[in-house]
Amino acid sequence: MSGNLLELKNLKVIFPSEMGVVKAVEGIDLDIKQGECVALVGESGCGKSVTSLSIMRLLNTPPAIIKVDKISLDGEDISKFSESKMEEIRGRQISMIFQDAMTALNPVMTVGKQIDEVFLKHGKMSKKEARINTVKALKLVGIPEPKSRAKSFPHQLSGGLRQRVLIAMAFACMPKLIIADEPTTALDVTIQAQVLNVLSDMQKSHKVSLLLITHDLSVVAHTADTVYVMYSGKIVEKAKVEDLFNLPHHPYTEGLMGSIPRLSDTTKHFVQIPDQVPHPMFKPTGCYFHPRCKYATEKCKKEMPPLVELENGRLIRCFYPLNMSEVKK
Amino acid sequence: MIEKKPLIKLENLNVNFPVKGSMPFTKKKYIQAVTDISLEIFKGETFGVVGESGCGKSTLANAIIGMLKPTSGKVYFKDQDLFSLPRNEFKDVRRSMQMIFQDPFSSLNPRFNVFQIISEPMLIRGDFSKKEMEEKVIELLNLVGLSDKDLYRYPSDFSGGQKQRIGIARAISLNPDFLICDEPVSALDVSVHAQILNLLVDLQEKLGITYLFISHNLAVVKNICDRIMVMYLGKVMEFGDTKSIYKNPKHPYTRALLSAILDLDIKREKTILKGDIPSPTNPPIGCRFWQRCPYAMEGCINKVVPLIEVEKDHFVACHLISGFSDEEVSEGLNNPVDKT
Repeated sequence: MSGNLLELKNLKVIFPSEMGVVKAVEGIDLDIKQGECVALVGESGCGKSVTSLSIMRLLNTPPAIIKVDKISLDGEDISKFSESKMEEIRGRQISMIFQDAMTALNPVMTVGKQIDEVFLKHGKMSKKEARINTVKALKLVGIPEPKSRAKSFPHQLSGGLRQRVLIAMAFACMPKLIIADEPTTALDVTIQAQVLNVLSDMQKSHKVSLLLITHDLSVVAHTADTVYVMYSGKIVEKAKVEDLFNLPHHPYTEGLMGSIPRLSDTTKHFVQIPDQVPHPMFKPTGCYFHPRCKYATEKCKKEMPPLVELENGRLIRCFYPLNMSEVKK
Repeated sequence: MIEKKPLIKLENLNVNFPVKGSMPFTKKKYIQAVTDISLEIFKGETFGVVGESGCGKSTLANAIIGMLKPTSGKVYFKDQDLFSLPRNEFKDVRRSMQMIFQDPFSSLNPRFNVFQIISEPMLIRGDFSKKEMEEKVIELLNLVGLSDKDLYRYPSDFSGGQKQRIGIARAISLNPDFLICDEPVSALDVSVHAQILNLLVDLQEKLGITYLFISHNLAVVKNICDRIMVMYLGKVMEFGDTKSIYKNPKHPYTRALLSAILDLDIKREKTILKGDIPSPTNPPIGCRFWQRCPYAMEGCINKVVPLIEVEKDHFVACHLISGFSDEEVSEGLNNPVDKT
């Protein structure tokens, strides 16, 4: 297919251990178009971060074993690239925003110097030019007094500012693809809204593709175009964001949406998905979601449902998808 | 049903932290973490405290539970002044007040197994035999949705939600009357939020515990709290009955917090506050929110804001609501502030 910036075909990641094999990711296909924001949603332990690290080729092998048919970035298959070639790509073509800004930044270096590094590595410029660009980058993400802020250390900045520094760093060389791994989880609601606005403004104004990884569907609602829902190493649903929120097909998606507390709720009890994600070493037979699914039947316990394509480009992995009759109308 | 009898009563509570000056002999500076807070928490209710990081929510909780000595003001628990009690009596009273912490990953000792973690409060109290403790711990585990198989496992074997359940079991092990939940779900996955919140609601119904519930997410607070207090930089902004605050939020800060909530409603307009919470070292005499308030007026900076009752059980501290006298208007106090 043309027009896809990133094409990921059949990604499998396993971690062999003494106790057994951990199947973290089991055959994932992911496409990201030019300038599109794609969200990958799922609970902790479902393999989201492993997927993003595999795209960046940042997983240590060993212990991880990665098998993939194709990771193509802008037509080039990067899965076979050497480490030195990957280093050129990271930062310039793909970059990453990490979850916890305090641990992602170096505590003994000023934030300016850390962003300078990106320019020095990829831009072939002098230190002075790098600093000018750094100040510009900080200004773009809405940091007040960028010149003096560049001289401060990470601990002198608030959580929201630190996250903005990370965004500035990721956008420094205007890469084609940015992977944001839970960019707002560690932040307050007000600051979360600010940071998401910055991120999505930057993405739209610079026509960068964004892979947003999160466990919070409410973050997705305001930023993403396409959503992939992941459960226990497999994609269970893919849809355009409006379609997904209007009519979720997979019971897991429905559960995720229900568990978000809303202002319009009136009851004291919250809708919840019982239990938790199965341990990746001891996955249930059949559909991985069946022990937590209220619609599960005998068939679900025995067979893994295939990923089926529906009319409007949606994908669904369920024998008994919800809200199907309403789609046909 | 909620009896109108205060379990906790705060009178003009202040907590200041000294800041080290850069030079000796200069005037000492203080961070005013909590300023002049008076409130009553009734038996059996859930009282919510809402605000951004750094607004003094956790300091308030620590002062109530006696982990921090307030600079001035009094804390009464069941009509006893906590900080004038002799040490041994204080320890007794303190047993009926417990706390659930924000981060279950760091609040459990990784070298203790579940039994040791949950039985530690009983061990410290000292009048339980090993057998009694084991029975009690199993009962607690069942109560919070874990099983007796987990008794001798270590915290690293559990997921975030399960760890928080262990934290809750530990907190209720001595049958407390009062439980402080300091952001109990913010470190967890969204899908687990509902599980933990439901557990807390169920426990309250079963055991009749009074909660002080701290959160920065107004959507979470709405459904489980009877009354809430919105704090900003150590001061009360809005305070009162949950229903009336959500129906009719008066303070610009409360409105901003409500609007910042992310939900599944894609098209909702949002007003997003600019900037971060400022440093509480030298707060203004007037409204502490004026720097970020979209409606700030000249008078907000220097004139003390009164906490006025706008309707029954609904108090607001804002000059927009209380207004200025004619004299003050002629002095130009209601002119908008030029922030540039």
